[in-house]
Amino acid sequence: MAIEHIGLAHGSGGKEMLDLISDYDLSYRGNWKNYDNDAATLDIGEGRLLVFTTDSFIVSPIFFPGGDIGHIAMCGTINDLAVIGADPLGISLALVIEEGFPTADLTKILASIKKISRTTKTPVVTGDTKVMEKGKLDKIVINTAGVGVVKKNEVLTKQIKPGDKIILSGGLGEHAVALLSKRFDYTTTIVSDSKPIVEEIKKVKKFIKVAKDPTRGGISASLHEIRQRYNVGMLLDEESIPVKPGVRKVTELLGINVYELACEGRFVCIAAKNLAHTVERILKKYNEAASIIGEITQGDTIIVQSVLGKRLLPIPTGRIVPRIC
Amino acid sequence: MVKNELIRTYLNEITTGAEELGKTIILMEVCGSHTNVIMKYGIREILPENIRLISGPGCPVCVSAQHDIDCIIALAKQGIPIATYGDMVRVPGSSSSLEEVRADGGNIFEVYSTTEVLELKKDNPDIVFFGVGFETTSPMTAFLLKNNVCVYSVHKLIPPAIRILAQENINIDGFLNPGHVSTIIGMKPYKKIRIPQVITGFSPEKILQAISILIELIKHHSTTVINGYPEAVREEGNIFALDMIQRHFSIIDSEWRGLGVLPSSGLEVRNDTLNAKKVYKDIISKVTSAKKTKCRCGDVLKGMIEPTGCPLYKTSCTPQNPEGACMVSAEGSCAIYYRYGK
Repeated sequence: MAIEHIGLAHGSGGKEMLDLISDYDLSYRGNWKNYDNDAATLDIGEGRLLVFTTDSFIVSPIFFPGGDIGHIAMCGTINDLAVIGADPLGISLALVIEEGFPTADLTKILASIKKISRTTKTPVVTGDTKVMEKGKLDKIVINTAGVGVVKKNEVLTKQIKPGDKIILSGGLGEHAVALLSKRFDYTTTIVSDSKPIVEEIKKVKKFIKVAKDPTRGGISASLHEIRQRYNVGMLLDEESIPVKPGVRKVTELLGINVYELACEGRFVCIAAKNLAHTVERILKKYNEAASIIGEITQGDTIIVQSVLGKRLLPIPTGRIVPRIC
Repeated sequence: MVKNELIRTYLNEITTGAEELGKTIILMEVCGSHTNVIMKYGIREILPENIRLISGPGCPVCVSAQHDIDCIIALAKQGIPIATYGDMVRVPGSSSSLEEVRADGGNIFEVYSTTEVLELKKDNPDIVFFGVGFETTSPMTAFLLKNNVCVYSVHKLIPPAIRILAQENINIDGFLNPGHVSTIIGMKPYKKIRIPQVITGFSPEKILQAISILIELIKHHSTTVINGYPEAVREEGNIFALDMIQRHFSIIDSEWRGLGVLPSSGLEVRNDTLNAKKVYKDIISKVTSAKKTKCRCGDVLKGMIEPTGCPLYKTSCTPQNPEGACMVSAEGSCAIYYRYGK
């Protein structure tokens, strides 16, 4: 359907965005593969693939419990490389800053970027800085692009099949609730889950087939993407999906769906049934909430099994807005 | 966490109660957030056949009258900065929406909380807050009025709507009363309405408990109101919030989408100099609204039809391109039905 204006929903990572980008097919892909995934890959010979990804970051507020915009700008791109199975080689950093932005804040943001760069051994190798007139931009926008390499046989785009298990690396909704706590000015012990997942993925890489980090659109969007790509169904066990009580309370109070909230340091992965417990055990060393949350089935829907019966997990649409009723 | 044991107990009570009743009863959940829980957990499907749940007018975005939406769009088109809650921005008026006005360069701000409006007022001194919602959000709008922010109020009161529905839709045997609204108003306003009512919370076990109590009340021909949500709702309500509402608003007859003008069912700004309808009466008096012919939001809100009974549902009306307000709001019946795959 032709739309006259771009709406905010087109940037929420749900159905509207998918419709929009499928309307504008850029068609020329050269030898790149996996361009509908988190990162695209290019065969560079010797059994290796170059992996390339980019992401732009806008977040309000820019500082929040457990992180800041610089932190997620680094983690987001590094994690997109990681979920393909790649080791990050280098990253680019482009800053677009509003005139009048406090240099003290910029210093803090750059310190976070430096810290993540060191801990993940991902050098920031090129960059750009632009300043826009006051009022033309909301504080700061960051774009990062990353390249990595992965051995062909370690690319996490392996075929999955009914019976395979779905594993989540930690609790849901913590990043979103940390942001909301700043916006609503309430006290919570929940901090953002924003962190690089490179180490965790490395440890489980040989046991898993597919991985995805549930950022925009949350675990709902991620699982639907996997489901569509591999033409499978899924059955999730609601009781085993880890959500901290503090997160659950806030999401219930505001009437927002925890499965649609962005995480910045989590991933879901698919492993063969006989390896799933190994993966779960390894991931528990990084986050004790890591759990097997369901399995791949035949069919084309995602079903959530709760104590009251089964229901469909919908594809996120629109924007996440707290209830007023 | 969902409490399995409690759920089994209430389901058993409901099954036994339904058998003893021996007739079909219709219960209305007034609140959109209740509808959401009911649909999410498929509660309609697990109830005995003779216990029917229907959704009511408890979505603030949905019941706001077309004309009020058109008026606020007219103000926005004149360049007046408007702040409101998220879903309100997308509701289609007769020919446009606040979202479209914003894309054309209008100053429209979405807020999560009214304290954000005070921040916005620093750079936009003539900002108008489009105040929408029931007794849950009106105290926060009163807080803005206290801080001299201009308000266009479409705030509405829940008990008059329940009273009218209890009289007009004679098929309704009992009500699940809204939890959040009741934290503010307490129990007293419901007591004058002679029909079984249970105030309840938002977990599946709370909803089932309320249904079980309603069956008991109906069985015993009792028209009382029970507080099934005592952990949040007090008999007297929130006295401070009620006082804020009383200080800054007067009660007026108000137009509800689908229900028409209900006597003493709306809140109007007391102070004329902060009432956008008075301040901008020259713009507002020229606004005319076109009636949408096929949209059946009104019947959905009264519980006369289910969303699937509207000819536009899922055909020309979807959450991406909503024609009616019930498809816009996450608390609207049509959007909830769509979400859970009906």
